Amino acid sequence: MNIGVCAKISPHADARIKIKSDGSGVDTKGEKLVVGDYDEYAVEEAIRTKEAHKGAVTAFTVGATSDEKLVRSGALALGVDKAVLISDDAAVNAGPLGTAKLLAAAIKEAGCEIVFTGKAATDDGNSQVSAMIAELLGWAQVSQVTKFAIEGTSFTATRAMDAGVLQIVSGSLPVVITCEDGLNDPRYPKLPDIMKAKRKPLSKIGAGDLGLADVAATSSESNFAPPPPRPASRIIEGDAASAAQELVRLLREEAKVI
Amino acid sequence: MAYDELFNPTEEHRMLREMVADFTANEVEPQAAEFDAKGVLNVPLFRQLGELGLLGITVPEEDGGAGLDAVAAVIVHHELSKSDPGFCLAYLAHSMLFVNNFAQSANAEQKARVLPKVISGEWIGGMGMTEPGAGTDVIGMTTTAVLDGEHYVMNGTKTYITNGCEGFCFLVYAKVDGRITTFLVDRDCPGFTTSHHIDKLGMRGSTMSELIFEDCRVPVANVIGEVGGGLTHMMRNLELERLTLAAMSVGIADRCVEIMVRHGQERVAFGTPINRFGQIQRYIADGYAATEAAKCLTYNVAKDVGPHNRNRIGSDAAKLFAAPVGKNVADWAMQVMGGSGYCREYPVERLWRDAKLLEIGGGTLESHQKNLTKDLSRLAPVT
Ligand SMILES: Cc1cc2nc3c(=O)[nH]c(=O)nc-3n(C[C@H](O)[C@H](O)[C@H](O)COP(=O)(O)OP(=O)(O)OC[C@H]3O[C@@H](n4cnc5c(N)ncnc54)[C@H](O)[C@@H]3O)c2cc1C
Repeated sequence: MNIGVCAKISPHADARIKIKSDGSGVDTKGEKLVVGDYDEYAVEEAIRTKEAHKGAVTAFTVGATSDEKLVRSGALALGVDKAVLISDDAAVNAGPLGTAKLLAAAIKEAGCEIVFTGKAATDDGNSQVSAMIAELLGWAQVSQVTKFAIEGTSFTATRAMDAGVLQIVSGSLPVVITCEDGLNDPRYPKLPDIMKAKRKPLSKIGAGDLGLADVAATSSESNFAPPPPRPASRIIEGDAASAAQELVRLLREEAKVI
Repeated sequence: MAYDELFNPTEEHRMLREMVADFTANEVEPQAAEFDAKGVLNVPLFRQLGELGLLGITVPEEDGGAGLDAVAAVIVHHELSKSDPGFCLAYLAHSMLFVNNFAQSANAEQKARVLPKVISGEWIGGMGMTEPGAGTDVIGMTTTAVLDGEHYVMNGTKTYITNGCEGFCFLVYAKVDGRITTFLVDRDCPGFTTSHHIDKLGMRGSTMSELIFEDCRVPVANVIGEVGGGLTHMMRNLELERLTLAAMSVGIADRCVEIMVRHGQERVAFGTPINRFGQIQRYIADGYAATEAAKCLTYNVAKDVGPHNRNRIGSDAAKLFAAPVGKNVADWAMQVMGGSGYCREYPVERLWRDAKLLEIGGGTLESHQKNLTKDLSRLAPVT
């Protein structure tokens, strides 16, 4: 089976986000960068699918050239077989639709039959690219998948809907499977796989190599600002009964939340 | 950047460190207090190290290992010891004292028979050098082995042997006609038993016991290398042992600095965070500086320790310097934490108990002082 997985490099979930001084975006300098949290589930599911059904996994990343080593540690060292890094200026500034166009073109070129993606990127949390890839390829997409299996050319995916309701979706390949928290437990890279990661093929290409040199963002982002600082906490003095009364009064009259 | 080149000289080292750090935070940290209290090794967790490929870290790739160097071994001990030095000591006894030593000295048949099982973690291993009557004075050992047909008959007792309770196979040093020789002894050798678990102050996530040989029959096929080759095996392996013990101390110190920095900001006394007090600042700043110095020395020496490089001066110096740093910084962290530092609820008192071992095991501070003086004088003789 020819399996694809999209993996975006973004700041670690524990990173302290800093805004660039001109408000044009997030400053990731000095931040620990990794394959995003939801994309980790996608990488794991892609590898498990390979282990169960044979074949090979290709990782696709749109990002900076310096993302190479993070793709090696966050995908190739885990058992992904090869990687495509789309990383010129046009690609980096492509916006959600442009990114989806680049990924869809690369996935098509690689001949994948199934592609795993994460529910959202850890940094911008747009949740747009997966659906766009499916649309551009003319494939089905199942979102928020928490359980997944393939039999022959059919798949069954369980979706987590609101309030704990589960929906079971089945269909036939090709499909984009968008992974949700809880789908699997991502593995630690094994030392022999770490040793192999450097030798695995990783092709660095540009938007032009996919015939999409003019891919450009259809929207722009500006005026990034940190959230307002949290006001200092207040300690209510007194015995339990009167403190509780005062707390209820403050919640109702000042905070107006009850 | 130079900083990173020293600690993570290649991408593989960086990935290894991240993997072990994640594994330590998620899997090792949560069980450390429980296994310390019980005083037993967490065997299932130990076998996970095998699944990750860490148990044969220094074994050449052609023998089924990862083929990594002493820096990589230092990274694993450094990261594991931030959470559980006791568990790390079991890893050290297995992977450094048994596996590394065995892979360097055993023949092809022996390697094929044993390496897959110890690299996977199916068999736990250890090394027996110390005896009730001979520790620092290791040459004074009295365990003997006498050839009798297809076997050597071994008599004697080794003590304080890490992994003695859970271990299946051990590298044992014994004298054949007065010459120190290395043997592979396993639980299938008749006449080999282990004592009760010897209880101890710290490093309680690993066990130790005596290895007892009473007319123990060890097949001739289990002699490692040449008869009389034991001293070379022992000395060569002690360098990596001392280096990785130094790395454990660095791990303890790193964790204790992190704890002090945090607690110093959070704990308020006399209306101000305690890190505003000069005495507390001294613990934090001196602790950090000492930790960084120990770390730099240990990693710098690690570059020059390997199967074909002898570096006793470096490895003795690293352990001599780093061991008291771990102990002192743990002590300072306890002081900064006050009463809470002394309580089982927090990891500092455990790290403090664990840290002391590094001034004794794998060579006492005094033995390093003795070796260093001898080796340095040899390098600069006064004629
Ligand atoms: C937790 C733990 C785990 C261990 N694991 C193992 C293991 O897996 N395998 C193994 O073989 N051993 C192991 N040991 C044993 C350890 O290596 C010895 O305890 C150590 O080498 C010291 O030997 P000793 O205890 O006999 O002390 P001694 O040698 O009796 O030393 C007592 C004191 O005398 C000092 N002294 C001795 N000789 C000199 C000298 N020439 N000059 C100055 N001072 C001197 C020492 O420095 C020390 O202060 C372990 C020990 C412990 C505590």
